[in-house]
Amino acid sequence: MNKSSITIVAVLALAAGLGISWLINANRPIELEAGTWFGEQARALPEFELRDHNRQALRRADLSGKWSLIFFGYTHCPDICPASLQTMADMVRAIDDPDVANALRVYFVSVDPERDKPDVLASYVTYFNPDFVGATAEMEKLEALTRPLGIAHGFRNKVAGNPVYDVDHSASIVLVNPRAEFAGLFGAPHDAQAMARDMTRIVEYN
Amino acid sequence: MLRSFTLVALLWPTICLAELDIGDAWIKNLPASVPVRAGYLSLHNSSTRPQRIVALHSESFASVEIHETVMQDGMMRMQQVPELQIEAGETVQLAPGGLHLMLMQPAAPTRPGEVHRIEIEFDDGSRQSLQLTVRK
Repeated sequence: MNKSSITIVAVLALAAGLGISWLINANRPIELEAGTWFGEQARALPEFELRDHNRQALRRADLSGKWSLIFFGYTHCPDICPASLQTMADMVRAIDDPDVANALRVYFVSVDPERDKPDVLASYVTYFNPDFVGATAEMEKLEALTRPLGIAHGFRNKVAGNPVYDVDHSASIVLVNPRAEFAGLFGAPHDAQAMARDMTRIVEYN
Repeated sequence: MLRSFTLVALLWPTICLAELDIGDAWIKNLPASVPVRAGYLSLHNSSTRPQRIVALHSESFASVEIHETVMQDGMMRMQQVPELQIEAGETVQLAPGGLHLMLMQPAAPTRPGEVHRIEIEFDDGSRQSLQLTVRK
């Protein structure tokens, strides 16, 4: 191989490398209006296994390939959970670019698995948007996901046999990138229009 | 003398009756599988003395309470507000993410467009009726 062909190969290899790194780079710096973008600090989600509202397993690998927004709550929560889910439904509607909307999935993870059986979750999440996905799991499996994300939750006034109790929970919305990495956080109170602009920026830029 | 006495006698019930100006009263609808709803409204006290709400009643729900969503230890927590005092001239907003009516166990599944009646009971025993419209 002569000198010029080595140069050509090197240049092609460099271009390919740059191209690949550009394609897979989902963590470039972005300023968000409504949340925090972790950029290079994005970290892999832990392995977890929940059950979705269709009784199918929901694992880390299932979050690959799309941008995911995950809200943690419970259906017996009359105020902040419906407000947050409605905000996300309004956000999806406010996204003009269908490619952006298609690149996005919204999950509602119940931290109250005893009361939130799949049927309850199904009617609840699809009330806000037919594409929303509800999921939950027994406490140990839930915490395998919530703890590494820093999503706090717990019961109050819970007595065995009494179905009336309170559930405290974080109101932050977790952003997961298409590589199943924890990529950002939207803190409460949530604003549908600002989140729609942020998600458009994120999906179009990456 | 007699005339002014009659006037006072006629106006007396109005003077004594606790009354609030109600604005934008609505209920966030949820599917029938969920046994709680939140109600929102604004309460303005245009009188010259404080008004204190001590209880709420409705035939549409097994119980109605005032609750507040508060942020504590990084978590959203709901707590009951046993009594709500509205000062003279003050407006209190019950809005998503803060104060709200906690409507428990609807007598029948709620539907958008329906109107539900709730009675506010004040500390002097008087009552005021208000209507909330169910929204999607």
